[in-house]
Amino acid sequence: MGRNLKLENLTKRFGKLTAVDHVDLEIEEGEFICFLGPSGCGKTTVLRMITGFETVTEGYIVFDNKVINDLMPKKREFGIVFQSYALFPNMTVEENIAFGLKMRRMPKKAIAERVDVMLDLIGLSDWRSLYPAQLSGGQQQRVALVRALAPDPQVLLLDEPLSALDAKIRLRLRAEIKRLQQELKKTMIHVTHDQEEALSIADRVVVMEGGQFRQVGRPIDIYKNPICNFVADFVGTSNFFQGRRTGDNVDIGKRKIKVMQNGAGADESVSLSIRPENVEVFKKGAPPGVTEPMNLVSGKIDVVVFQGAAVRLLINMDNEEIISDIIEKDFEQRSLKQGDEVYLYFPPEAFLVFPDGEGRK
Amino acid sequence: MKDSAPPGKLSSTLLSSENIFTGVIMALLLAILALFLLYPVVDICRLSFFKDGVFTIQNYVDYFSNPRIFRSFYNSMFVSAVTMVITTVLAFFFAYGLTRTTMPAKGLFFTISTLPLIAPTIIQALALILLFGRNGLITRYLLGTDWNIYGATGIIVGEILYCFPNALFILYTTLSAVDTRLDEAAQSLGASSLKTFWKVTLPAAKYGIASAAALTFNLTITDFGIPVVIGGNYSVLATEIVSQVFGLQRFDLGATIGVILLIPSITAFMINYYLTRKSYAMISGQARPFLPPSRPLKKWAFTIYSVLISACILLVFVTVFFGSFVRTWPYDFSLTLAHFDFPSLGASVPLWTAFWHSVLAPGPLRDMIAIKYAPIWTSLLVSLVVAIVGASVTLVAAYIIEKKKPRGEQLLYSLSVLPAAIPGVVLGLGYVLAFNKPYFFIYGTVWIIIINVIIANFTLGILSGTANMKQIDKSVEEAAVSLGAGPVTTFIRIIFPLSKVAFLSTATFFFMRGMTTISAVLFLVSAKIKLAAIEIIFLDVDGRTASANAMCTVVVLVVVLFLVIMRLVTGRSGLTGMSAAK
Repeated sequence: MGRNLKLENLTKRFGKLTAVDHVDLEIEEGEFICFLGPSGCGKTTVLRMITGFETVTEGYIVFDNKVINDLMPKKREFGIVFQSYALFPNMTVEENIAFGLKMRRMPKKAIAERVDVMLDLIGLSDWRSLYPAQLSGGQQQRVALVRALAPDPQVLLLDEPLSALDAKIRLRLRAEIKRLQQELKKTMIHVTHDQEEALSIADRVVVMEGGQFRQVGRPIDIYKNPICNFVADFVGTSNFFQGRRTGDNVDIGKRKIKVMQNGAGADESVSLSIRPENVEVFKKGAPPGVTEPMNLVSGKIDVVVFQGAAVRLLINMDNEEIISDIIEKDFEQRSLKQGDEVYLYFPPEAFLVFPDGEGRK
Repeated sequence: MKDSAPPGKLSSTLLSSENIFTGVIMALLLAILALFLLYPVVDICRLSFFKDGVFTIQNYVDYFSNPRIFRSFYNSMFVSAVTMVITTVLAFFFAYGLTRTTMPAKGLFFTISTLPLIAPTIIQALALILLFGRNGLITRYLLGTDWNIYGATGIIVGEILYCFPNALFILYTTLSAVDTRLDEAAQSLGASSLKTFWKVTLPAAKYGIASAAALTFNLTITDFGIPVVIGGNYSVLATEIVSQVFGLQRFDLGATIGVILLIPSITAFMINYYLTRKSYAMISGQARPFLPPSRPLKKWAFTIYSVLISACILLVFVTVFFGSFVRTWPYDFSLTLAHFDFPSLGASVPLWTAFWHSVLAPGPLRDMIAIKYAPIWTSLLVSLVVAIVGASVTLVAAYIIEKKKPRGEQLLYSLSVLPAAIPGVVLGLGYVLAFNKPYFFIYGTVWIIIINVIIANFTLGILSGTANMKQIDKSVEEAAVSLGAGPVTTFIRIIFPLSKVAFLSTATFFFMRGMTTISAVLFLVSAKIKLAAIEIIFLDVDGRTASANAMCTVVVLVVVLFLVIMRLVTGRSGLTGMSAAK
């Protein structure tokens, strides 16, 4: 077993407010973990407890089999990258990167070599003697990244490092962080509210809400098999229905819909969710051949949003809005347009069924 | 979930270097403020209420039943109230001209209006006497009248000239912050200019106006320099304290008047403090849109107004400057340097005497510089130490308060802003009562003066320090700590360099206060240790008005020289390359 980081029963209360509520997690050495959740869900608080800037109310943080709850931040030797970059404005790029090395009393020559390696890593060697204010946001954050990496920290913690950057730079830097992580095999913990960022970058994603971990898993599992309404809603987009279940059928008010997923008992109130890309849309006319005619429903296209490779349709079905994403080619082929009367088809196997009372709805 | 601790070593942080650092500094600061701020004030209260160890209100009965001294209370309230109203109105329109019109030479007007800050408050009184006194250039020489400005009129005019920049700063900030788009919106909806002013501009600036008024009131009622020189028989609380103590050796009655003076002064301070916060809370932070050209009438009216105000302020300096070079004002205007050969025979701090004796050959020049100019050198030494120590201590205190937020941080902050509420005369008297004891070895040395000046001006240092700390991103400090820097290293390598600008401006402020302060140190000077600003008063009281003017001129020149040096130094040290604020 490597130098794993374990959160055990970790809790943080600010007065009466419980920001982090008894969470458990084991992070393996070299793993890239992403905490994902809306603002106020407690993800930053978890990160700050790991860094040591926030005290632990209850539970333990264990690193390399030692409880580090009360260890000073500087003794933890964890690197941190901040949302605001937090470069030292009074020092050059080079001096910023060398700072942590000087603090560790490395010999001058070794520092110079290490700084060179770090600058090469981010391709900013020509900028070494500039001050942070002379760099763009993306460049500053890259410097901040290697400044944190320079002393070879045990774990690198990234607190929404990309959210202050504009969209294009964000994508570039996201790829760069991923590359660095794979090259250096460093344990990284990344906090974000951007689900796309979390899914694309992490080995495992921790979805948080209300101070609790709702789901921990690989990005694909989080997306395909969300275990509750909240995750299904927060990660990606979903259509939701409320209803009562009888065997394979769910009664959603006016109509019955067939579902495949098991798990919920009979005559239990449930909620259904289905991803927009799984909702098929056909022009009205001859009913298309589908495996489950029961799940074929009429509707009318209210809004068409062109999104590049896909087209998002907002469809009125019994005065409820259903979102469907169909690929652009199909959209053309079926010559759909706004105001069209259409058939919606919900494949039974595409539904996720959650017992009610779990999650948000 | 398990309740027992997982295996492994538990390390404690109760005695971490971080906590020790904060704790020790916190304790030190609290001890300093308790000893040098609270203790003297408490001692004054004690003396006013106790006679021979028994609680009594006899002193207060004495005060209120003696019409002559009771008058000082009424007088103080009167001159302060009148000064408050006039100064606020004058400064408001000046600030309005600077912020809301396109009149020319705004920078020049602003600079001139700040001039009173570089001189002892006494300068206004000296100038008014030269112009409107018994032998005033205007009253006697030009108009040939017997009327003179001594008394309430003189105090009020002098205080207006002195308080003007202080009120102006607040109003200028308020008016630059209030969104001019509100005005534009009102006008686009059909409101006339005058109506816009009454219904939009003025209400939006109300907190700023009230806070400027309260500050003016506080400055006037606590001032000693102007009333002592120009007040004549018109006694106010501050001068009454001094005459009770110096003239009649009635320390108890002096203390009683001090306590009475504390009440309006603390009230005014608290109103100012509260409203300033409220006023700044209204600042939108929006960039101001382009200021449209003012109509010619408005533009010229404000230009003429600003020229008049600036001329009055300049006139004070020109008069005193000129007055120190002419032989016999206002009869003989031939120029002379005679008044700079000060009559004072004051000793100097031994350090300076030794210094001059080592660099100059014996002779009249050495005597003049080493002996006659001793108060200047002492003031310079005091001011330099005050600048460095005062700026450092307030910077560290602001850092602890704003960034560390330890237990008791509120107490430290309250104590730190308190000095502005306490009149200098009261604090000075408190020092005499509290520290004039044989075992208190620094009493009677220059060090008690240095401490007094630092404490008396602590508030502004703390306020500018905390404002600076608020601008430093918390993450920057956390970044340093996460990279392995300890508290001391973080402070020296990160916080201090990012506070350089604030540090230098606070140091400059402390230096100016050290050179120009009168009331706080009045009780602490002695035959051995003289200060230039106090010497002005003694020279004036002694009837050597021309020498008083000359001494005042020297003080102003020293301050100007310091400002020039600071400008050159900070200009060269590449402060522009730093970017505390992104």
